[in-house]
Amino acid sequence: MDEIVLDIENLEKTYPGGVHAVKGISFDVKKGESIAIIGSSGSGKSTVLRCINRLIEPTKGNIKLNNQIINNPLADVNEIRSKIGMVFQSFELFSHLKVLDNITLGLRHVRGMSKDEAEESALEVLARVDMLDRIDAFPGNLSGGQKQRVAIARALAMHPEVILFDEPTSALDPELIGSVLQTIRSLADEGMTMVIVTHEINFARDVADRIIYMDKGLIAEQGPSSIIENPNSDRLKEFLSSMDEENDN
Amino acid sequence: MTNIENRIFSWHSIPQSSRIILITSMIVIIFITPNFAEGYYESSWSLIDSDSQNNYNAAIIDENGDAWVFGDDGEIIFGEKMGEWIQFDSPTNEDLKAAYANQELIVAAGNNGSVIYKQYSSENWIEIKMDNLIDAHSVSINSNNEIFIVSDNGEIWCFKQQNWIKIESLVSEDLNDIVFEGERGLISGSSGLILGSEDNGETWEIRETPEEVSDSNIISIGFYGINRGYAITSDGQILKSTQEALTTTVGYYWYLKEIESENMSTTLGINLTSIEVLSTTKILLSGENGYIALSKDGGNIVDPQLLPIEGNFTINDIAMKTAFIGIIVGDNGTILYTENGGQDNALGFEIMDLSDFSEFVDFTKDNLLEGLKATMKIVIFGILLGFFLGIVLAMCKTAPTTLKQMIEGDLERTLILFWLIIPVTIIGSRIHGMGFGVVLFLGIGILISILNYYINKNKIENEGFLGISISNNHRTMMIRLLGLTLLLGVPFTEEWGIKGGIVCVYSALSDFYAFHLGSNTFKLSAQVAYIFAPIGNPDAFFRMIFGIGLTYLGVLFFTSNGSFEKKKISYGRPILVLLLWLVILTEILVDFDITGKHSSTFLGIFGWRVFLIFIGLLLTKRILPGGLSSITKGTDNKIIIEPWKIRPLQTIATLYTDFFRNTPLLVQFMFIHFGLQLGKHIQNIGVDITSDLFTISSYLGPLDNLISPMIDYVKESLFGPGKRSYLSAIFALGLNSAAYQCETIRGAIAAIPSGQMEAGRSIGLTYMGTMRLIILPQAIRICIPPLGNEMVNLVLNSSLASVIAYTELTRQGKLVVAITFQIFWTWGMVMIAYFVVTWSLALLLRRLEEKTRIPGLGISGGN
Repeated sequence: MDEIVLDIENLEKTYPGGVHAVKGISFDVKKGESIAIIGSSGSGKSTVLRCINRLIEPTKGNIKLNNQIINNPLADVNEIRSKIGMVFQSFELFSHLKVLDNITLGLRHVRGMSKDEAEESALEVLARVDMLDRIDAFPGNLSGGQKQRVAIARALAMHPEVILFDEPTSALDPELIGSVLQTIRSLADEGMTMVIVTHEINFARDVADRIIYMDKGLIAEQGPSSIIENPNSDRLKEFLSSMDEENDN
Repeated sequence: MTNIENRIFSWHSIPQSSRIILITSMIVIIFITPNFAEGYYESSWSLIDSDSQNNYNAAIIDENGDAWVFGDDGEIIFGEKMGEWIQFDSPTNEDLKAAYANQELIVAAGNNGSVIYKQYSSENWIEIKMDNLIDAHSVSINSNNEIFIVSDNGEIWCFKQQNWIKIESLVSEDLNDIVFEGERGLISGSSGLILGSEDNGETWEIRETPEEVSDSNIISIGFYGINRGYAITSDGQILKSTQEALTTTVGYYWYLKEIESENMSTTLGINLTSIEVLSTTKILLSGENGYIALSKDGGNIVDPQLLPIEGNFTINDIAMKTAFIGIIVGDNGTILYTENGGQDNALGFEIMDLSDFSEFVDFTKDNLLEGLKATMKIVIFGILLGFFLGIVLAMCKTAPTTLKQMIEGDLERTLILFWLIIPVTIIGSRIHGMGFGVVLFLGIGILISILNYYINKNKIENEGFLGISISNNHRTMMIRLLGLTLLLGVPFTEEWGIKGGIVCVYSALSDFYAFHLGSNTFKLSAQVAYIFAPIGNPDAFFRMIFGIGLTYLGVLFFTSNGSFEKKKISYGRPILVLLLWLVILTEILVDFDITGKHSSTFLGIFGWRVFLIFIGLLLTKRILPGGLSSITKGTDNKIIIEPWKIRPLQTIATLYTDFFRNTPLLVQFMFIHFGLQLGKHIQNIGVDITSDLFTISSYLGPLDNLISPMIDYVKESLFGPGKRSYLSAIFALGLNSAAYQCETIRGAIAAIPSGQMEAGRSIGLTYMGTMRLIILPQAIRICIPPLGNEMVNLVLNSSLASVIAYTELTRQGKLVVAITFQIFWTWGMVMIAYFVVTWSLALLLRRLEEKTRIPGLGISGGN
């Protein structure tokens, strides 16, 4: 459990417009650990996540995956990305492909599997997210929750070292959130390494081994999930109470 | 999607293998279906029943219009007015081989010295047997009623005053044919021999024949009047002679005819036996295996005719009363009669009546179908070219790579390239030649790349190229020096110098200036003619474009501070305003000769400009709100440009689409075909490629027999003669369509959410892989309707190919109108043909759209 999968050191990102979104943060993710990053909008959570698989190039700092620097221009960015799964807020399923093909695409064209191998593998992960009955459906005909589960399956199929969740439930209706959270929770139980950016405080508390609270591009507070009950900093207290209000409304 | 069971016909309910067989067989049927005009003709030769199986060797029609046919065993057949045919008593039993008739005599000659003649007044044939039993090959009569026969070994005999006299021919070749017209005579023989006489056959001289027939047997000869002569060889060649000058007559010089209908070959590939010259240009040819052919244009197009009987018989002789009425005779008792020169009758009507619609359609449909086929060909290739080029251009236009990323990502590499590799390469190539330079360039480049890989592979931090991290100060200095080099070049001697951007632009501009297109004032409007300068000197134009690119980069590098940020130009706006005033005021105020005394010097011009700018300042102060103060003070006046944001690929693609979308297609057609002669160049390249392929194919041994014809076919059908306008048309259509399709596809790519690209990249696909597998399949589906529009447009635009003489549908329409004058019918039919093609294409695309629609995506009507 102590093996460090992901190590982020002094990460900084300044956008071309001059916005200093991330101002130097460091944390690490151990194998099998699930980490939730919470924080108000614009605090730099998504930027951190996207820097990790280099969808955004960091301005400064190092990111190491299994002790290898990955934001080095010489590193093979495609290989790195194939080791880091990503689940998006708006699902981003490939709408011209059926559910099964959505999952086999990466296996066949990145991993170089044959069609049969890939399908076998895909069926396995689809079973894990409970989507076996819709393998021939097009994404357009799925509900939001189903889409997100397929997206999770797509990330899982690549057997990544770590999966990044970018607000996986934000685009979902409240009644659909449950199934997705259930799926993520079961992944955590299976020992998947995960970094989850979320607004679901309760879910973060349930699933995450560790919670990082970000504010204005910096880590304001981090610790075990118990910090939700007993926040140390005023900023986190304020944030939690505002979230409570929102939920009450 | 509709249930398959509900459909009347479902393509998918057919098993896949059957579908493939179905499509293949359809294609095969289309390709092997013969031109269906063939069955619509019948022979105009009618068979005369002669009750004989004897071989007929010669035929003649006398002055009365009666026919005489001579055959083996001395057989003589008489056809009164070519209507009543009877056997005639013969004075000889020898085979008769040749015959001739003039106003007084009919004469025939044959084997073993047998010669017979008959006078019109007499009923009987008289034999005048020769003492030596030679075989006559041909017989003729000169203007003195003297009978000539020719035979083997150059023997010419003349029957003069009841005696046979041998005429000295001075040749030993076998003589095949003799013909007289008045006092002039011609004899043909083996080894390409032609003899001529101008004195009623007293003396004969050798006439000049082409080298190519020196091994051939000139089997028959004939001439018409004083200006045309024709001869044929037994190998199927046609020789032609024309009157060379007013003073000479025909028959002195003979040319070998290149036969257009045989792809400009010089032989018909038929063993010919006889020729009959009907007029200056109309000739009838006969040959073995029942061959009879008419040429109406002196042997350019030889049109074989149909015969009512089949068989391997040889047609031995032709006898024509007029250009239309006559007979041919051959082996096995064959006599055939025609009344229209043997031309095949189109079945069903005797004389074409083009005011009758059904006959008009019958007459024109082949032309129009041919045109339709030609249209389809360029359309299909045009669509393919346009579509693929369009996709490439669209991808160039959407490529996110900016100049900044390109420079920043590889800065160290670029610097090392410029400061190490390029100078070494140039020095190397100057010393040891170009090849050495290239090898040096590649060698050092690869070496450094490998070195870099090993140095940086295990580094935790990227420490710069080759582990060299250049300090910021030095780096900026190097970049600026690089910029200076790009601007000015390396100003060494002629031999070692490299031209920089400014030099390129300057030399191009001075080349343009050498045209002196502007008049003598520096008004902008007077320089308008300079927009045509690029055509005057394309070389300078490209040099200028290259120079502008180098200058742009050079300025950027030279002014860079190492951060590649956007740039601010202080006082940019006032400078622009003043320049604008300068132009306006020059236009208004200056109207004199620049060489005049006030402005002949540099200072004069300069003074004028300063003066104009000064007025501009005053005017600005008067006219613009806030006046002078606002344009000289304050941050508003700064113009901010972001030169590093330029995307090179996008720039190139934009230049391409702008050019093709802003010029008329008709002009593009003419420029590409007549101006660039693109078709000719491609044809030449293509022929080179195919000849290389032939060379490769010749190494394949027995497989060569299989592959060579295929290469030949491709060569003929793509690059063969007459394919220039075809190639030009494809490229004009394709290049033009690509520009429009590019914009359509780009729009569709832009409509795909950016998250799709992120999702594709996040599972490890490359940019191009994501494009290919995820973005384009969705984008193409979106843009099928507009692309369909574009393709329909392309079909309709293909009619413009008629201006470059490509025989597509519209041009065929023009030709048909020129022949038939039926304007309404022709253009109506052309329109219907276009509609059918375009409409089927539209239906096909509609179906494609329906098939590829993704359930649940987009508002598309239906489910």
